[in-house]
Amino acid sequence: MRRLAALGAVALLAASCGGDDEGVRGDLEGITVFGAASLTEVFQEIAPNVTFNFAGSDELATQIREGAPADVYAAASPRYPDELFEEGLIEEPQVFATNRLVLIVPADNPAGIESVEDLMADGVKLVVGAEGVPIGDYTRTVLESMGMTDVLENVVSNEEDVKGVVGKITSGAADAGFVYVTDAAAAGDDVEAIELPEEAQAVVQYPIAVVVESENAEAALEFVDLILGEDGREALENAGFGPP
Amino acid sequence: MRRAFDIAFAVAAGLVLAFLLLPILALFIRISPAELLDALWSDVALDALWVSLKTGLIAHFFVLLIGTPAAYFLATKRFRGRGVLITLVELPLVLPPAVAGIALLALFGRRGLLGEQLYALGITVPLTQAAVVMAVTFVAMPFYVRQAIASFETVDPALIDASRTLGASPQRTFWRVALPLSATGLGAGSALAWARGTGEFGATIMFAGSLQGLTQTMPLAIYAQLDLNPDIAIAIGALLVLVSLTVLLSVKLLPSWTRFTSISYISSAPSGSSSS
Repeated sequence: MRRLAALGAVALLAASCGGDDEGVRGDLEGITVFGAASLTEVFQEIAPNVTFNFAGSDELATQIREGAPADVYAAASPRYPDELFEEGLIEEPQVFATNRLVLIVPADNPAGIESVEDLMADGVKLVVGAEGVPIGDYTRTVLESMGMTDVLENVVSNEEDVKGVVGKITSGAADAGFVYVTDAAAAGDDVEAIELPEEAQAVVQYPIAVVVESENAEAALEFVDLILGEDGREALENAGFGPP
Repeated sequence: MRRAFDIAFAVAAGLVLAFLLLPILALFIRISPAELLDALWSDVALDALWVSLKTGLIAHFFVLLIGTPAAYFLATKRFRGRGVLITLVELPLVLPPAVAGIALLALFGRRGLLGEQLYALGITVPLTQAAVVMAVTFVAMPFYVRQAIASFETVDPALIDASRTLGASPQRTFWRVALPLSATGLGAGSALAWARGTGEFGATIMFAGSLQGLTQTMPLAIYAQLDLNPDIAIAIGALLVLVSLTVLLSVKLLPSWTRFTSISYISSAPSGSSSS
């Protein structure tokens, strides 16, 4: 059955060669892409027909190790793609985008936070990514280079992916959180973003690769090309991602 | 023909057992007992155990303290809308935990129905240990109250009447007649509520967040450690299996323990055994 589906996908691909972009996207329907949570909005915009599994990059890596049926893996940090590549589970990863961190607060900013320094105040409820989750590791890197790791004492929750941090802010449960600038943009008016010093920024890279065990390798490669191609780059740029 | 029928059904029973038990067995086989004990001694696991125990005990205290009189009231009073009330109490039983989480946020969140006033008073509930207690109480309470109502209902009204006729006050009747006669069922309900509370995940992660040593209960620690340190996740999982098994056995064995110590067995057995 799976083989049949794969054959069908290949046939469809062949039929659409030379077609317009819409046609290419339609053929991607059969594949499953494991994407970092911060890619949720932009990937769905680029390829609405693809089946996505968005979560923390570390969790996705665990799922791929356990044999989850992924065709493509796109992570918010080179750490896990590099590990999976060394283990022979994915093809060589290619960086397709970059990102940077911002501090977000609810639109009404109840704790009156204007800067990272304000996070030191007693009773501030700060939410960050857990250690091992890319956003969590980047957050700690940024705070270290700012010499502000003390603010971590005000952390009330370590979230398993960046959308967990956004949710705690938009629901008004917490006062502030560190996320990617693209998540702040996607959350719109619900949050207010506070820029971090340029020199303290972490290098946030997004690698993408086809999963070795993919039963749909051609379509998977097609998706990777789409993301690396002009259409993908344009959509990523519009969403606030930086060039690789 | 009849033999084939029996065999088919036996095979189905075997499949069900294998499907339910093999994953649990696999959990114990995945790491050695020594590694399991090592992992359980880690800070993360011990902190999670402590948070679960503390919040679980506080929540359970409220469940018993408020749930018991509430159940007695609903079981013994006859009034219009009683059936509707009982159904509403049971609603959280079938509610997805994530709904419980977002509902608690809608009430106690900073922009919530009560949260706004609480926040003005300087009280914030979400992302605190109190939030864990609330989430656990919310999901565990119906398990206890439902079972307690059933237990109180099985107490022979003639015994209550006799107690009252002999001059005992309603309070005395509750403490000396209704409560002892329902003890088995209440114990079973208490154990089930404890099990549900210990396993609580969805409402907690949404409403209370996940912070080691403060709000990270055992199920949340499993989720957090799965990627970082799978051994710890498995060890906590194995521990929870043992806790669940203990709860189940106590529910199963409770009726036979009380059989010889109390006459209540005859009247409360149906509720006690129907839950097992």
